[in-house]
Amino acid sequence: MTIRSEFQRQLQQTVGPGPVTVKALAGDKRAFCELDELDRFAVACRELRVESGALTNATLAQLQDLSTKLSGRLTYLLEPVSPIESDGESCTVQMRSNPPQRDDDGTRYYELLVRRGSISLRRWHAPRGQIRQPIAAELTREVTVRLVGDFGEAIDAFKARR
Amino acid sequence: MGLKIERDQNRFKQIVRGKIRQNLRKYVSQGEMIGRKGRDLVSIPVPQLDVPHFKFGKNGSGGAGQGDGEIGQPIGRPGDDGEGGQGQAGSDPGAHILEVDVSLDELAAILGDELELPRIQPKGRENLKQEKARYNSIRRTGPESLRHFKRTYMQSLRRQISSGTYNPDNPVVIPYREDRRYRSWDVVHEQVANAVIIYMMDVSGSMTEEQKQIVRVEAFWIDTWLRSQYDGLERRYIIHDAAAKEVDEETFYHTRESGGTRISSAYRVCADLIQREFSPVEWNIYCFQFSDGDNWGEDNERSLNLLREHILPHVNLFCYGQVESPYGSGEFIHSLASLTLDDPGKLVLSEIPDRDAIYDSIKTFLGKGR
Repeated sequence: MTIRSEFQRQLQQTVGPGPVTVKALAGDKRAFCELDELDRFAVACRELRVESGALTNATLAQLQDLSTKLSGRLTYLLEPVSPIESDGESCTVQMRSNPPQRDDDGTRYYELLVRRGSISLRRWHAPRGQIRQPIAAELTREVTVRLVGDFGEAIDAFKARR
Repeated sequence: MGLKIERDQNRFKQIVRGKIRQNLRKYVSQGEMIGRKGRDLVSIPVPQLDVPHFKFGKNGSGGAGQGDGEIGQPIGRPGDDGEGGQGQAGSDPGAHILEVDVSLDELAAILGDELELPRIQPKGRENLKQEKARYNSIRRTGPESLRHFKRTYMQSLRRQISSGTYNPDNPVVIPYREDRRYRSWDVVHEQVANAVIIYMMDVSGSMTEEQKQIVRVEAFWIDTWLRSQYDGLERRYIIHDAAAKEVDEETFYHTRESGGTRISSAYRVCADLIQREFSPVEWNIYCFQFSDGDNWGEDNERSLNLLREHILPHVNLFCYGQVESPYGSGEFIHSLASLTLDDPGKLVLSEIPDRDAIYDSIKTFLGKGR
């Protein structure tokens, strides 16, 4: 059983309207998905996170490599996501929508943090001249499951290379 | 009384100055003159300036006294009845845009006038002196380029009169070699106020080339103004992402890193630099920091502590310019806002969303006159 299939099963069993946290466990991987709302087709996801002990001792260079490969997988979010900054002190790679989505209301973008122990995704909204706020990412159920699967496979690939 | 050509030249300079003043905001925004900076002169294109020139008419093609017209008939202008040509585009080069050379001091004066910048009041340090050469004496030897013609003539005249060879009816004065006099200089010690500008720039992965160009343009103008205010101006450059280092000017403007943003690293290098080389007792210290403000969260508190305890007490002015991140995620300026309450005049904050905002940002930074 993969983290993807287990998460899909848990999500199918979850009923709306939310907020609710969907959890799944498969091997050394755990998935958490905080949902503001959900219905038959889509979810409003506040945070999606996959944790794994395999990443606990990763170096920054390894996380950068993982991020680069992950950005090649995430082609279905309508906004391309790529590594923007790496921080050695916290051993974290920050990935964001590149370019972000801009409209009259400000800027919206996905932010993924690849760090020791986890990969997480959130969506942010920065209204013009104001501090950015986390918002719920509106994703179809299929895309949500696919994200969990890609995070899991990126971790598996990392383990295989190590 | 000045020569007529000097009056004309002065008038031309005034016109040029007026044109520069009219378009200053454009020059400031576009940074056209960056890279044109010579040792002291800056070339500025002034396309709107019409240089006076003669216009010749068409000879022998009609007009007063040459045509078949009756008395009282309006005179046509040459070529009025001709049809428009359908010639092809010429292959000769078009008219060149006039470029005028303006000294940095003049430019600073224009900037100061236009932005209504107050004169900076330096810290008085009478023990700081600088050696300067003043051409205020005459010698018998020297390079020909410094020959003093009037003094040489006077010396020749004096010698000829005293030796009886001067003839008032034929007042020819021929200077000998020993009559020649040359301008010379004395070294004078002038009291100067020393100033240092410390530029800090975020070069982390989130800073784009456009943002760095905005920083570059703004730094040029700040530099121009402050150089006009101080004789001994030192400039130091610090770049940082997650780590900071002092670099030269070239590196400052052309480095692209991809590390995370930790502003505290730049503050630590800045504080060390001040402590090591620029005693606040003797130096006027100006800090200009530019970032997109996208600092890694837990670093804000550390940065504020360093700024509050190790930098702000020692500087005349600390300016923080936040260029807008493509993600609109710069939050550091909001953290800094709390510090402005401690010393409202010393810490100046400015948001620079785009190039058009550079002009106002400079005024915000330098309008304090500190």
